[in-house]
Amino acid sequence: MDKQKMFTIPELTKLFFVHTKLIAKTTLEYKFHRSLISVAIFCREMISIVTMYLIMIRFVSIKGWDMNEMLFLYSFLFISYSLFVFVFAGIRDFDAMVQSGELDRFLLRPLGLIYQVIASRADFSATLGHGAVGVILLIKTAGSVGIEWNLRNTLAYIAVILGGTVIQASLFMVSSCFSFWTVNTTNLRNLVFFNARRFAAYPLSFYPGVIRYLLIFLLPFAFVNYFPSLYFLNKPEVSILGGWIPYLTPVVGAVLFFLVYTFWKFGLKHYSSVGN
Amino acid sequence: MSYIEVNNLVKDYKINVKKRGILGSMQSLLIPEYKMIRAVDDISFSIKKGEMVGFIGPNGAGKSTTVKMLTGILMPTSGNIITGGLSPHSDRKKNAARIGAVFGQRTQLWWDLPAEDTFDLLRYVYKMPEKKFKANMETFNELLGLNEFISKPVRQLSLGQRMRADIAASLIHDPEIVFFDEPTIGLDVVAKQKVRDFVRHMNKEKNITMLFTTHDMGDIEKTCDRMLIIDKGKIIYDGTPDDIKKKYAKYRTLIIDFVEKQSGIEIPGVEVCEDKGNKVQFRFIKDEVSAQELISSLTKKYEISDFTLQEADIENVIREIYEGGIKCDENLCGVC
Repeated sequence: MDKQKMFTIPELTKLFFVHTKLIAKTTLEYKFHRSLISVAIFCREMISIVTMYLIMIRFVSIKGWDMNEMLFLYSFLFISYSLFVFVFAGIRDFDAMVQSGELDRFLLRPLGLIYQVIASRADFSATLGHGAVGVILLIKTAGSVGIEWNLRNTLAYIAVILGGTVIQASLFMVSSCFSFWTVNTTNLRNLVFFNARRFAAYPLSFYPGVIRYLLIFLLPFAFVNYFPSLYFLNKPEVSILGGWIPYLTPVVGAVLFFLVYTFWKFGLKHYSSVGN
Repeated sequence: MSYIEVNNLVKDYKINVKKRGILGSMQSLLIPEYKMIRAVDDISFSIKKGEMVGFIGPNGAGKSTTVKMLTGILMPTSGNIITGGLSPHSDRKKNAARIGAVFGQRTQLWWDLPAEDTFDLLRYVYKMPEKKFKANMETFNELLGLNEFISKPVRQLSLGQRMRADIAASLIHDPEIVFFDEPTIGLDVVAKQKVRDFVRHMNKEKNITMLFTTHDMGDIEKTCDRMLIIDKGKIIYDGTPDDIKKKYAKYRTLIIDFVEKQSGIEIPGVEVCEDKGNKVQFRFIKDEVSAQELISSLTKKYEISDFTLQEADIENVIREIYEGGIKCDENLCGVC
């Protein structure tokens, strides 16, 4: 009897959505609680935007960026993060999976580990909360910043969002690698990630060199929103690379993911499980 | 023919040595000091297809580590394991398709959803044809009565129901080998019996190889034909549960109901281990004192209303082995 058939892509996709269906059902078991979380996230993020708005409204523009352009820049962070917590919530919650022994269960199934980690989680509440903020910002600004929404730009936009999602997933995954050595770095990760993200809310050109290098090479948030925005807003800095800029984001995402995944596999070899 | 072959298996863990006090913990934060712990120390054994084997040993003896290596969760430090022609760790995915595992203390069912949802997911995880899946579900329902509770959220199930669902979930894909880790922990007598009956039935029907790790000797006596005792990373006994009883159960207990309250009974070679007025428990070594003589000498002196004679049970034997009172000798286990 041959039980060792490989999984095909359609089968994996189907299984992914079977997971998603069960996660949705679980979420609906606690409708009230989960909706409150969405509302809380929405309010928290909106407050930071309103604060930024109230401060910025006193100036017509800073270093060539006006209010709508800044909000457009900010919207990338929310939309890609929203997609990130939908698809890659498992990477975010990886520490907990190791500690609860859920990882051991995954290792007993005939599927790839990273596939199961990703498929087994989706944070609908955070997706909705961040997504709503992102979509509101995008709708408010998409028409007024001078972007022509033709096929070329729409494709570029999708590529940027997908690439940005993978970049953020990779950054989160770095910390999950340490869980294999039972080192919990969740707090450090949150500190680094969310502060870097706060920098990324403003154009890179506002910052001194160190922070720029940081956001380009170490925590490449610049590719999540700043460089793509330069392209979509037709900023003068764009001329060097021209129309290819948006496609840098998925490339950076793929390279980063590959590097982190290599490290992750290395960590898995040193995995020593948890006691009973 | 052996189905599982384990040769010279070793697993070392590196653990962080924690120092005492604030200064000590700051020191171990800055300059971590590691110590190697050998959890599994050069063990070898083989298991035939369809065999039911119990793994016992005190906490921290290396049972779980061994099982985790057998299932492919952990990579051995050295030595090798072959289960059905595959190496569990390097062929993890292929191997996983034909093993099942039940953890008594952790469930694989989705906690907030009815068990049927998990079963539905597993159907895709193991790529089961619908017909096969339905047939298996029907069998499990017949033997375990799943339909009574399969549509209720798992968090609302009793422990016995949850366990039955968990066992069914681990067997749904017709595994060739199933690992049970404390499958009856916390269950009442009836539920325990149900689980044991089911396990035995499945073993007979489908010739599934089964490995149990448990602290419940009842599980082992009632289900397994072979028992491995592991202590300090080594196998110290490999044989049937009956043999160990015959060989090492030195003591017998005699419980006597006297008509009147007695005190200060002293018989050479016999120890009074419990004295509750009319009811007295005597313990003696069975090779040194004959039970028949003891009873007759007591009936001569006192008026007795009733008596019971108890053979030592396996739990006591195991306890003595753990405590170091019994050293297994070589002719019995052969691998010490």
